[in-house]
Amino acid sequence: MIRVICTTAAAFALLVTGAAAQQDVVSDPSPDALLSRFSNEPYRFTQTDGEALYRTTCQACHMEDGKGAVGAGSHPPLAGNPKMISRHYLAGVILTGYHGMPRFGDTMSNEQIAAVTNYVRSHFGNDFPGVMTAAEVDALRAPE
Amino acid sequence: MATGFSTPTRRQLLSMIGHVAGSAAMYQAMTSMGFAADSGYTGAPDLQGPREGRHVLILGAGIAGMAAAYELRRAGYEVKIIEYQNRHGGRCLTIRGGDRFTEMGGHHITCDFESEGYFNPGPWRLPVHHQALFDYARKFNVPMQPFINRNEKAYLHSPNAFGGQPQRIGEVETDMRGYVSELLAKSLNQRALDQVVTMEDREKLLQGLKGWGVLDKNYKYRVSDDVGGARGWDIRPGGGLMPDKKPSQPFDLSTLLQSGLWSQMFGLNTYSHEAPMFEPVGGMDKITDAFANEVADLIQFDARVTRIAQGDNGVTVTYEDGGRGGEVREESADWCVCTIPLSVLVQLDVECSDKMKKAIGAVPYASAFKISMEFKRRFWEQDEMIYGGISYTDLPLVQIAYPNYGFFSDGPAVVQAAYDTATAGRTFTYTWSTMTPQERIEAAFALGRQIHPQYDEEFMSGTSWVWHRVPWSLGCYGQWTEELREQHYETLCEIDNRLVLAGEHCSHIPAWLEGGLLSALDAIRRLDQRENA
Repeated sequence: MIRVICTTAAAFALLVTGAAAQQDVVSDPSPDALLSRFSNEPYRFTQTDGEALYRTTCQACHMEDGKGAVGAGSHPPLAGNPKMISRHYLAGVILTGYHGMPRFGDTMSNEQIAAVTNYVRSHFGNDFPGVMTAAEVDALRAPE
Repeated sequence: MATGFSTPTRRQLLSMIGHVAGSAAMYQAMTSMGFAADSGYTGAPDLQGPREGRHVLILGAGIAGMAAAYELRRAGYEVKIIEYQNRHGGRCLTIRGGDRFTEMGGHHITCDFESEGYFNPGPWRLPVHHQALFDYARKFNVPMQPFINRNEKAYLHSPNAFGGQPQRIGEVETDMRGYVSELLAKSLNQRALDQVVTMEDREKLLQGLKGWGVLDKNYKYRVSDDVGGARGWDIRPGGGLMPDKKPSQPFDLSTLLQSGLWSQMFGLNTYSHEAPMFEPVGGMDKITDAFANEVADLIQFDARVTRIAQGDNGVTVTYEDGGRGGEVREESADWCVCTIPLSVLVQLDVECSDKMKKAIGAVPYASAFKISMEFKRRFWEQDEMIYGGISYTDLPLVQIAYPNYGFFSDGPAVVQAAYDTATAGRTFTYTWSTMTPQERIEAAFALGRQIHPQYDEEFMSGTSWVWHRVPWSLGCYGQWTEELREQHYETLCEIDNRLVLAGEHCSHIPAWLEGGLLSALDAIRRLDQRENA
């Protein structure tokens, strides 16, 4: 059975204000934490923290542990993936998509793409050198 | 933020066009954007058939693969279908009580519905102009029932408007039509539009606005019995000595505009959602079951394709018999019709032109999800007079769709409790897709009870579907853009030597069954022409 003890007012407040609730997304199983994983606006992601962004997007395919998953084809692992050595490559994939993976360049800012790039390259056992900056992401964007 | 979030997406642009100029103009705009070109379907394909024995290998037993198999065999080709799953139907499926699935990532989806209610994770409603689909449904005797897409009693809801209280679609629409009519009448009477409206037209327009917007003799939209007859009553007209009727009070225009509820309705204006829509009685899989009745003997299940090789005279497909890691086998044929989703196909070893390889790798697969719940009783009918149809909300669950069957019955019933796709441009579907099956139910419950507080008492169980975690599709549908279509669409659909692709991704109506069907019919028509050239 499901455990839902969240009042309407509490859930309401979360969705409207949200900013403070964006942190701390995995450890707390209560609906408040769960609902805080959604962005506060419909048409763009509003999380700023690399982990929060991962937990609200990438995790769908690359999974909680960054190891991806296998079916008829696969969602490739990010953990221990040598392609992650290039921060520009990873940021570019997030920006424009790759094969079946959708693009996030329209729904994430340069700062957000840099944050999630840096999160992936420094977690799941990854420890790749170098830090992606928002300016570097901007340089990857195709001119308007 | 360095990027221009204010630039409208194509969807937003279309929605604006639709709302200002009407659905006909929007449809025209969609067509010119390569989004909704009309089907051109003129009946079952009239294939010539091969002059001598010809084998066609079809990859995938979804609607495109099975339709291709059905028509090719009828025309005299020898056909075999290779399917990855142990079931037919592809993305057209229906989940019922007792069903179990394992998602990518190893999470288990359970469905414990106790009633006859069902859940269509993929296609769930059929537009009346999807004529190929209805032609086959008629031919295969698939009973249809109306799908209520628009129900004036269903809700529009925002946590930030009307104190979080949902409002009826019909009331919002009647008020908006009334106020827009009143404002336009005012402009006409002030002679502000004399430049663009002739004297004769002005009189007709004023007369029309009075009836269309339910305006009073002074061209005002005000509470009255006439307005009550259009938007509803606080006390409905009764019988005998029951209390006198009392018309309901229109919302204040500014409150209505600021609420954002009006814009939630624009999706109801699209050509593809005009009433009546239909659904097969008993679940959308009745359609693909009907095709399978015709071609089941041609399907080899549990076969994972790994390679498509081709020469000038034929094609050889390598597959693992029994699934990944199974015994490697080869199958040769004169032609191959491949309906494998591009998200999977791009990861296989395919011999084709570089141009086609690029096209296969160019199309992203959209995020989409659905959640379904069973409740102890039909509280939406019994308490709220909502019989079928869809409520819309700004909450991340986006919409709640009520069952269009079993009306007025007692006992449990199944609701589609949340649904969105990436096409609309909202990000929520990505977030839902990151959740475990249990988390999705918890989130949909916590959000849904804000619209229907009866959730607390009536909830029984829930189930869900997240297309990016489906092992055999790795996403929901080909998410074309105008630019991608310009660059790759023709190449993708062309016959490449002995190989032709088909499926919703090879159509101008992605994600619709009709797209997969028309694509298959067009592919085999060209294959048959090539065979007889």
